[in-house]
Amino acid sequence: MVERFDIAIVGGGPAGQAAALQLVALGLSVAVVDEQLRPGGQILRQPPVGYAVDGWMTDRSYAPLRDQIARFEAAPGLHWMGGRSVLGLTVRGSDDFALTVSSPEGVERIESRRVLIAAGCQDLAVPMPGWTLPGVYAAGGLQAFLKSQRVIPGERLLLAGTHPLQLVIAAQTVGAGGSVEGVFFAQPFARMAAVMASAPLAAIGHVGLLLSTVSALRALRRHRVPVRFGMPVERVVGEHRVEGLVVGGKTYEGDTVGLCFGFVPQSALPRMAGAKIRPAGRAGGWAAVHDRWMQSTVPGLFVAGETTGVAGAPAAMAAGEIAGAGIALDLGVIDATAAERLASNARDRRAGHLRFAALLDAVADPRRSFPALEDDTLLCRCEDVPASRIVALIGDRSANAVKLATRCGMGACQGRNCEPTLLRLIDDPRDPGFTARFPARPVTIADLAG
Amino acid sequence: MRIERDTRRGRPISIRVDGVEIGSFEGETVAAAMLEQDVAFRRDTRGRDRGLFCNMGTCSECMVTLLPSRRRVRACITPASDGMELVTHG
Repeated sequence: MVERFDIAIVGGGPAGQAAALQLVALGLSVAVVDEQLRPGGQILRQPPVGYAVDGWMTDRSYAPLRDQIARFEAAPGLHWMGGRSVLGLTVRGSDDFALTVSSPEGVERIESRRVLIAAGCQDLAVPMPGWTLPGVYAAGGLQAFLKSQRVIPGERLLLAGTHPLQLVIAAQTVGAGGSVEGVFFAQPFARMAAVMASAPLAAIGHVGLLLSTVSALRALRRHRVPVRFGMPVERVVGEHRVEGLVVGGKTYEGDTVGLCFGFVPQSALPRMAGAKIRPAGRAGGWAAVHDRWMQSTVPGLFVAGETTGVAGAPAAMAAGEIAGAGIALDLGVIDATAAERLASNARDRRAGHLRFAALLDAVADPRRSFPALEDDTLLCRCEDVPASRIVALIGDRSANAVKLATRCGMGACQGRNCEPTLLRLIDDPRDPGFTARFPARPVTIADLAG
Repeated sequence: MRIERDTRRGRPISIRVDGVEIGSFEGETVAAAMLEQDVAFRRDTRGRDRGLFCNMGTCSECMVTLLPSRRRVRACITPASDGMELVTHG
């Protein structure tokens, strides 16, 4: 089955929603594909249909996002395609794109004149001894459970890493009735404070975000949750399940661990399409390069939100508005003056948000805090490739060569977990990482053949 | 642990994981239901239990096999449905 639209948008988060709203308002046909059943992205991951959650995401900083999602869900003419994964993106011409999409019923095809990739980001996966024990989570995944499924995995949570988001996750966990044994930052408090002090102007416009961190700290103090700085995580301990965490030379007991070292863009689709990418930031990963209308280096292929570098939801929303105007301009639906008018407010907002994002990126810098790998630490979780095999092999090999020789990056995650670590070990800024391959997400062969 | 505070869930349902019936709710993901029972999502090549990691469809650590279709799905983005049957191995 093939469906045709003016624009196909990958990702129903803040960026995808903003662009979609611009474009349907101009009378264009728009499909939005997302792996989640409901729109929102990870930042506003909604509870399932049929659930009711009192006071869901009422923090003031979420208000513009909640307002937008309400408009998105009510917008007539928008074709929402939730519960679907994009497996592949084919560029047939600057006016002709094809997406291969898997759904619970099988594989579908979408054709469109323009594509916007607003596929968000993922937690940076940081290997360490014991990190494949059941009970170890990417911290963002824990937060998604809180927001949407209303589940707290385990009874006693330990959070460790370098990113301030772990304070918010800890506060949300205790606020929901869970128990947090400790929040550990690898970096000393003084280093974080020094970074903040070096760029006070960048932060001024973002008091809301800083206040959520401050109010999280206050909530954690009230619940007597220890928050420690200068305590780098070393290993997860346990026999069959998590039993504790070694941090700064001390062992803390707990049955659940959240690792919070920052976020990297989802970059599989822009790379598959041949769009130019650049190193995304201190946490690693790749960001799609774009022009001032959010068009990638592939004509007709637009990118917005974390796909272009992790900068947070308000920046993504602004970028989506710019991309919407840019796509309409590119399609000839509006002229340059109208497009500039549509995008100008978003451009100002985005610039401010990017300054704050750069500050946060510096505060959360994970690079001096990666735990030491042991010989049998699995670097590739999918294919069970230990660090020792990879380190012994690297020499002057590229990421692709290491992949061929060891299967590191060949598994179901398509290298999303191991690529940043492998590139760090290779330590060659010219290495472009793994070649992106179809399918971008795991799919049954029978579905592809059918 | 399912959060009770401020939360009303969908209709209670049950699914079968490796032949064992476990309780769930309409709208809940297979992953959330499995976590409640502390079921391993798979075993690795060293025979060790493995859990879910990212909970956003990215890491594929939580892939399980639906029966009778034998379709491999990511438990974290697959909603449970009443009577659904799945296995955690192959």
